[in-house]
Amino acid sequence: MSTAALVVAVALLVTGAVLFVAWPLASPDAGPPEQVLSDRDRRVLELRERRDEAYQGLHDLEQELHTGKITPADYELERGRLRAEAAAALRELDGLSEPDPLR
Amino acid sequence: MVAGLRRDRRVMRSVQNAFAAAFVSALVAIAALEYGLVTNDYSLSVVFEHTSRNLPLIYKMTSLWASQEGSLLLWLTVLTGAAGIVMYQNRHRNRELVPWVAAVLGGIAVFFAGLAAFVSSPFAHVPGAVPTDGSGLDPSLQNPYMAAHPPMLYLGYVSMAVPFAFAMAALITRRTDARWLVSVRRWTLVSWTALGIGMLLGAHWAYVEIGWGGYWAWDPVESAALMPWLAATAFLHSVMVQEKKGMLKVWNMVLVITAFSLCIFGDFLTRSGVVQSVHSFVQSAVGPWLLGFLALVLAASISLLIVRLPTLRADHKLESVVSREATFLFNNLLLLALAFAVLWGVVFPILSEAARGVRATVATPYYDFFLVIFGLPLLALTGIGPLIAWRRASPGSLWRTFRWPVISGLAGGAFLALLGLGSSPAGLTALSLCVFVTVTIGMEFARGTAARRAIAGGSWPRALRDLVNRNRRRYGGYVVHLAIVLLVVGVTASSAYSSVDEANLGVGQSMRIDGYTLRNTGLFQRRGPNYRLEYVRLQVYKGGKPDGILEPGLRQYDTGQVGNEVDIRSSLLTGTDLYSILQAPDRNGSGVSVKVLVNPAVGLVWLAGVVFALGALITIWPDPREARQLARRYGELLARSEA
Repeated sequence: MSTAALVVAVALLVTGAVLFVAWPLASPDAGPPEQVLSDRDRRVLELRERRDEAYQGLHDLEQELHTGKITPADYELERGRLRAEAAAALRELDGLSEPDPLR
Repeated sequence: MVAGLRRDRRVMRSVQNAFAAAFVSALVAIAALEYGLVTNDYSLSVVFEHTSRNLPLIYKMTSLWASQEGSLLLWLTVLTGAAGIVMYQNRHRNRELVPWVAAVLGGIAVFFAGLAAFVSSPFAHVPGAVPTDGSGLDPSLQNPYMAAHPPMLYLGYVSMAVPFAFAMAALITRRTDARWLVSVRRWTLVSWTALGIGMLLGAHWAYVEIGWGGYWAWDPVESAALMPWLAATAFLHSVMVQEKKGMLKVWNMVLVITAFSLCIFGDFLTRSGVVQSVHSFVQSAVGPWLLGFLALVLAASISLLIVRLPTLRADHKLESVVSREATFLFNNLLLLALAFAVLWGVVFPILSEAARGVRATVATPYYDFFLVIFGLPLLALTGIGPLIAWRRASPGSLWRTFRWPVISGLAGGAFLALLGLGSSPAGLTALSLCVFVTVTIGMEFARGTAARRAIAGGSWPRALRDLVNRNRRRYGGYVVHLAIVLLVVGVTASSAYSSVDEANLGVGQSMRIDGYTLRNTGLFQRRGPNYRLEYVRLQVYKGGKPDGILEPGLRQYDTGQVGNEVDIRSSLLTGTDLYSILQAPDRNGSGVSVKVLVNPAVGLVWLAGVVFALGALITIWPDPREARQLARRYGELLARSEA
């Protein structure tokens, strides 16, 4: 490849890259700005994570009972606690007028 | 950063395009360098220093990463490729995090692009007249494993930047809920798997190519890959505790920062020339830059973590030390303790040289000591963790769950002692623990399959398939645990119970080792594509009957370099290797000098790699059930944030 051809190839590559990167900035379709989550939304996410942790805990508990890793007495005790945790998260979610898609 | 601060969608689209353009540009640079390598363009320093005209084509191509400069370019290509994939994966999700993820990944990419462009350029020219031939590639790098081993390690090192970038983005935006963990778990698995497979490929390369009879020598560059792998292993366990219990949030951040920092430190070790290693590049100017970059990464990430500590409070407390979350915590502490013991072994010689002007040596016994001290409890936890309940376990359930694994482990240990394996107490303990862990894994699959069958009916194979499909992370993890057991058995047997002997053999003379007899039948020569091979033919006998031939030799390359060519006979049934090395040909009539090793069960080390890859694949494979659950949790909130 001659030097001239090489220079042309590199120029084309650089120009193409610059146009490709700059094109969205020149686009008239700006769209609305990205929105960040509000404090309420963050609290909802936190509560949903707690709810899912409790649901996952209940699922694990069932599995642990079936595979003999816990006694039935331990199962009852833990199930009560996990259900109470899930209920507390759901109550607060209701208070934030946040319907639970699982219900 | 502008996209993150202004929340301008056009800037974000431009960022996404910039990563794609960077990746394509890096690929073009790789293609240009490969073109120079295969067309013998000796005006380029990289081509002149690492190839020669008669080098086979495949090694001309792989010599790209044999050089400091070319490997930097490969590193940059993998990094921009990974960043491009992250941008594509997250084009419709994680809109709050992604601008900052892009900023961190972009910062890292700019640093490495700067190194490749201004400090260690792969397109630097040879001064003066263009040479007619090159210096040749190091003989030890003329091996098929070198085609896969370095790229695999680079993939492991580089992809660890993705979890780090998400962790920093989560801290910057105060989005320290579990969402960032979900986004990085699979990337961490990719990095961890690539590092694991890369290390095993490197170990096999050392075994068949370097020619000292082993596969792991605690070389600083080997350790450089092991340290982030250990930190990533800890993270992959502790992430489960955060997901299920909302605990260890600070700890997970610390682990991600540690894993990425160790990757940069590993790169520094390999490229700076501060350590003596068969794997490292020659001393170069990139070392101080990498050290400065590491200091910047640590200072910035730790400062950010300290500022955001109030947002990382745990949702729950540890309820009992006898629980699965507690075993994960112990596992984490042991893994990090092992990583830092290895780190100290690597940096101590450097520090001693800097302080006293004398390079101290940290030998294998140092590492073996810590491997036993931390490794055996870790192995025990590999069996204990899966069987113990979350939250807390009662003494009654503990006995019921653990009695058969414990009895099996003790019985297995007694049986192995009767076979004479008590000569190594640590080895016997490790093998007994392997029995214990294997039984726990078997029980987990058996009980899980039985429970699945009780719920859904169907055949046993179908119940097993459904069990794995419904919880790929857990059961893929158990397959990885099985790989660890195979690895431990292979390493223990081949190191604690191997035999070695050396002899000078004239033609017709024999040596005996571990039931084998090897007779020298003569010294021969053969011509290869770019070398002359001188080898001794050893007729092997076992029980008085012929049992194959070994032909260890020495390669004299046309460039003047000399390379060892070991010959190995492997037993598929037992995994035992008969390993032969020609140390010196017969020059003065005293016979050829040969070294022979019998490495029991070493085949299990390589089998462990296959099982490890299988387990990792099961774990990495996308799970639609999990995706649906996450959509329920985050879906409409994130849609609202994008409205």
